[in-house]
Formats: sequence, structure tokens, C-alpha cells
Amino acid sequence: MRILLENFTKKFGDLTVIDGMNLEVRDGEMLALLGGSGCGKSTTLFSICGIHRIDGGRILFGDRDVTRTTSQERNVGVVFQSFALYPHMTVEQNIGFPLKLRKEPKEQIARKVGEIAEMVHIEELLQRRPGELSGGQQQRVALARALIRRPSVLLLDEPLANLDAALRLEMRSEIRRIQKETGITAVLVTHDQVEAMSMADRIAIMDAGKILQIAEPREMYENPVSDYVASFLGSPPISFLAGRIEGDAFVEPATGTRIPLRPEIAASHGGRAVRLGIRPEHFQPEGGIAIPGRISFIEIQGRETLFDVELPDGSVIRSIQRANDAVRIGDEVRWGIDHEKILVFDENGLKI
Amino acid sequence: MGNSRHLGLMLLAPAGIFVILFFLAPVVLTAVFGFTNMSTATGISGGAYVVSDSTMLALKERYGEQELAERLLRKSYVIDEAGLQAALEGGAARPTVEELREKYLGASFGSRREVERLLKKLYNRPAGIRQIKKIAAGFERSVVNVRYDTPEALLAAIEGYGITLTEAQKEALAEVSYTGWVFTAQNFKTMVELPDTWRTMANTLFYVFTTLILFNTGFALVLAIATHYMPDRPAGFFRSVWLLPRITPPVLYVLMWKWLAWDNGFLATILEPMGFAPRNWLLDTPANAWTFIILINGFVGASMGMLIFSSAIKAIPQPLFYASEVDGASRWQQIRHIILPQLRWPILFITSYQTLSLLTSFEYILLATNGGPGGATEVWALATYMKALNNYGGALQYGYGAAMSLVLVVIGVALSLVYLRMFNFKALTESPKIEQ
Repeated sequence: MRILLENFTKKFGDLTVIDGMNLEVRDGEMLALLGGSGCGKSTTLFSICGIHRIDGGRILFGDRDVTRTTSQERNVGVVFQSFALYPHMTVEQNIGFPLKLRKEPKEQIARKVGEIAEMVHIEELLQRRPGELSGGQQQRVALARALIRRPSVLLLDEPLANLDAALRLEMRSEIRRIQKETGITAVLVTHDQVEAMSMADRIAIMDAGKILQIAEPREMYENPVSDYVASFLGSPPISFLAGRIEGDAFVEPATGTRIPLRPEIAASHGGRAVRLGIRPEHFQPEGGIAIPGRISFIEIQGRETLFDVELPDGSVIRSIQRANDAVRIGDEVRWGIDHEKILVFDENGLKI
Repeated sequence: MGNSRHLGLMLLAPAGIFVILFFLAPVVLTAVFGFTNMSTATGISGGAYVVSDSTMLALKERYGEQELAERLLRKSYVIDEAGLQAALEGGAARPTVEELREKYLGASFGSRREVERLLKKLYNRPAGIRQIKKIAAGFERSVVNVRYDTPEALLAAIEGYGITLTEAQKEALAEVSYTGWVFTAQNFKTMVELPDTWRTMANTLFYVFTTLILFNTGFALVLAIATHYMPDRPAGFFRSVWLLPRITPPVLYVLMWKWLAWDNGFLATILEPMGFAPRNWLLDTPANAWTFIILINGFVGASMGMLIFSSAIKAIPQPLFYASEVDGASRWQQIRHIILPQLRWPILFITSYQTLSLLTSFEYILLATNGGPGGATEVWALATYMKALNNYGGALQYGYGAAMSLVLVVIGVALSLVYLRMFNFKALTESPKIEQ
């Protein structure tokens, strides 16, 4: 079911957290709300599920205006960061709780719980209590409870933050699988760009209560609207070089390196101060426009090695390469920037 | 290490002494006293063997020895060496004394008149009626109100006056004439036999459970849950208000209730124009008295439960409330399925703690109704206090009082066990089986 936020405004006391936001979550898609802490992503989620009252605008589920309805009436499934399982109930009672509240017959509840438990692979845990489950199992129970009454939308609030690294990887694909299987419209709140990119159909990146960009993960990675978005996506993160456009190229002031730009950029911003965004995979020993620098840091990641290359003025360009032991810290290198892939941002940080 | 251990023991020693002296010893002594007939009459140290009006009454009533009792109470006169010696020292003529010794040594008489008659008939008759009376008084022998340390001494004295006793009579006399306390289970028999006991017990159960259910647990829960759903500021204010009775001195607190309820108090004054005759609303009827007793105790008792329950509700993670809301739970369902199950342990704690505290507390009742009207609100602890320590007539029955408090201890322990079972204590303390 489509979710539409129109002019959505939320205040806490005198503090306006979100001011007139517009957002559409398409039917059946998983949309990630991505942003740092305090950006308003959880507030948005809690407003969609009705835990927070909103101070302005409208929220629509499909064509139904749910702005004034309580969370009990919205038929949403929510997975909380802490899972919020009821500690005094068994797994079966936890999952069946929404149905029990609607006074569905016992056999029907048992059947539905059985079905959903099978889907999330916890059939053998039904008689346990949450305290007797591992983090991943609790996560699955929380998911089952959110899904059991076939909610209009599924809301996931940092669902992987409380899991350890290996489980996080597993549950990432599990949640995606279950969402695809049920075809439910889902909103994922996360601060982790890897999570957002790997799980969501589209990402809405937020900062200070505003949506900066909504796009599919690849589109957003390759074509970010601003340096903030560019730096938020990608690990290791993008590096920036400050300089000036002279003629048809960008000039790096410390080394005098000229990096040719697309003609329309050079033409529209001739003579202006800009910043180049260079992703680590686009700064390699071979090819591109060579720029001299000194290795200042090496991080071995197994399959790959991460290098920090320091330019004479102290600015740093990161490079990620297949495992490479040939260079050491302190070595002078001349590696190349793939000028076809570079991003250019103006003084305000907006992409040109 | 050894030094520090000794230091610890030394530091604890004063506390240990106080614990033994003020906590342990009273309990043990109460248990011991419960099986004695200690009272003001017996004293708390050992007693003596005395023939007195009251012991002879017991001899008559318990053993039917009316004749013996009367004989023992009667004074008798015996011509013995001690009497003769006293007569000599009292100024009687030696010939008179000698004549008496020769003719009558060992004779005994039932009254002084007989002795006087004897003296008048003597050849060496004492001069003057005053002298006769004085000598006769010297022969007076009685066991009445004389304290003997052993039963043998008492019996020897009695036999010395020419009263011979059967073995059964000796035993009976030894028992009834003892003025000290003895070990006995009589207290408990008396307790079971007295109808007052059962009434007091019923009063106690009514008082404890009504106050407990309506206020100490029930109303406390209502307050805690209501304030949980209120904004912080009014909730804090509301909770503070309910703490006031707890921090008001009991005497003043009850005095205010009395002002409310007296026949010229607040209630009477505002009800009079409506056609209700002024009366003491507090002591007017047993129902009124109970209403006030439960209100007085309940308003004080609710605050503790409220605090415990409030903090327990605060300890429930907020996401659980959010989760239950999106799961579709109404307020009532949230209370029923989320809050109350989480409050299981605090409810158990408050219920058992307050049961014990209500069972033993009687200060508000003592101050408000003093058990009235007519014993209608006399509870076990109050009755115990009255029997053992504050009898109007001044006859304090320590032993009976101790026996009554023992009953209270037994009931308290039994109830605690029942509660633990009811709330499934074992499951609550079971360690979780975490699997990773």
C-alpha cells in the first residue's frame, strides 16, 4: 500500500524537528530513510505508525487519510530497534498477541502463528520466552509479530543495530527476502548506508529534518545531489579535493595537476572555486590523470587494501585496491584519478 | 587477611549484640512466655508457697476441698515452746508458764477464747485480763499469708498445727498455693474456648484483607497506573499528595480524622442542616467505625505500593508500550497484558509485606477507636497489647499476651508461604536459558 506524507510537520515542544516534508513510499517497495542520528528519520517512522501525533500536514495509506487515527487503527507492523518483545510471553504468545487483541479464535491464531513462524524459520522456538533467545532469533520473532496481521505497511526502526556483525549480514538478506515474499510496503530506518543500499529499493537520505535526495541506491551512489549525500554513501568514504576551474580543467593548487572536466561544467563554472569528489575505487595506480603524493596510511582489509595518499598541502585522497603489498607508508607515488567518474560540487556543496 | 577479618567481626560486634538483645531475644522470650501463665499476679521471677484467700478459692473450685480450705484459713492456737518462751519474755510469771508446760504442752485450740478460758482456770492464773489476752495471742499459729520457699516447708508447718493431709491433698495444696508462674499450655486452650478470640480473629482478617485489597494494593495500583498515563508534572504532584498521610505524625493524622468525625466535628456540622442529628460518626456504629479504620489505614498504606508500582512501571521499556499500541492494544488491554504481568513481583512484594505489616499494626486503631465501639474493631494485635501490656484493671497477662502474639507469628509465616506459592516464586527466580 502506498504511503504518502504531505507537508508533514512534527514539533517537540518549541523545537520543530520536521518542517513540511513530502514523501511517497510506493506500493510494495522498501524505502530506506537514511541519515545520521537526530536527522528526524525515527521521528518520521513513529509518525507514520501513529506513536507520534503530527503537528501539520497529512499522512495517507493508499487513499485513506490516517492523520487523525491512532496507531491501534492504522494496521501497521513495526520492528523496533530493541525488538520490544514481551518478556513474560512465550514466542507463540508474542507473535499471536496482535490477533489475541482482536479476539480471533484460538485455533485460527495458532494456525497463523505456525505459518508465519515457518516463514521466518522459528518453528522450533515457539514455546520459549524472549529471554531464552539469541539476538537473531528475537529479531525473527519481532518480524513475525509485525507481519502476522498482514499490516498495510511494515516499519523497521534500525532493525539490525542490536545484532553482531555476522548476524547483521544474515538478517539483512532475510528481512529483504521476507519483504519480497509478502510484497508488503516497507520503510526501513537506518544510519548505516550499507544496510540502506543493500536492502532498499530506494533510499531517502535525510539531514536536519529534510529529505536531501530520493533515489535508487546505485543512482544515489553515482549521482548524489550534494557533497553531504556523496560522503554519506560508500565505504570507505569519498575524498574531496578543493581547487578552481581554469579553462576546461580543474586545477589542484598544491601540485598544479590539471584534471579535465566535462565541457558543460567547465563552461558554466569557469574560474569558480569547486570541490572534486573522488571515490576510492576511482583512484588507482594505473590510468587516469596522475597526481603525485605520499602514502600516509595503509589499512589491510584482506581481499582489499586501503591507502591514504597525502598531497603536499595535506589534503588526502583515499584509494582502495586489490591486496597490494608493493607500497609502504612514506613511499612517493603517482596514482591516477579516473576523471570520467569524478563528481564536482560547487561552493554550496551542490553537485554540478 | 586474618587481621581484616577480625576487624570486620569487631566492627559488627556491637550490631550483633543489639540484634540479639533487641530482635532475637524478644522473639525467643515471647515464644517461651507463651507457654507460661505469667501475669502481674505471678510476677516474672520465681514465686513462693502461700495459703491465702485466692489460693484457697482455687483449692475449693479445682479440687472440691472446701473443708480443708476453711480449716487452713482458720487461725489455730498451739501451746508450744515458742509460745511459752514468748510469754516469759512478755512478762508472764514463771509458775504460770511452768504450769502450762506441764499440763498442756502440745495442746491445740480452734479459737483464742478457748485459750483464754484455759488460762483463767490455771492454778497460777495470770494477773489481770490484759495479761491473759497477751499470753493467749502469743500462742496464735497460722499458715495464712506466710511465704514458704518450698512446698515441704509449707506442709511441715501445716502438720505442725495438727492438720493431717492425704497425699492427694498435699499435691493439690502444693499446686494451688504456688504464687509464681508455671509452664502450661492453658493459654492456648483458653484462647480456643473464649468466643472473644474468634471475634477478634474475624475482625483481624476483615481488617487486613479489606485494607490490603482495597487500598494497599488495589488503590496503589490505580494510583500508579493513573499517574503513569498522566503528564509528568501533574503525575508528580498527585503522587506527592498521596505521600502526605505517610509523613504526617500518626497522632495528628488520627486527630484530624477525629475532628472530621466527632459529634461537633466537620461531618456533623455540615450534615446537621440536612437533617442528620449530630453524632460521633466514628464510633456511632461498627460499620462506621470499620469504614473509618480502613480509610485511615488505607490512605497511609496506599502510598508505599504506589511508589513501588510507579517505579516498576517506569522500568518497563518504552518500546513495549509502543509495540503494544501498534499491535492494537487499547489502554485497558495494555494495562491487562503489559503492565500487570510486569508488576507481578512488586505486587507479590507489596501484598506480603503489607499483610505482615497490617497484621501487626494497631497504632491507628488504638488512636482512633481503641477497638470500639464495644470491641467491634478490636484486632488481634490490639487485643494482644491490651491483654499483655495495657489492661485497664492493671492485671497484665504476659503469658496469655505472648501466646496471642505467637499465633500472629504463625499466621504471618503461613500467609507468606501461601503468597510465594500463589505468585509462583520459583519461576520468577529461575535463571534464563540463554542460547547464542
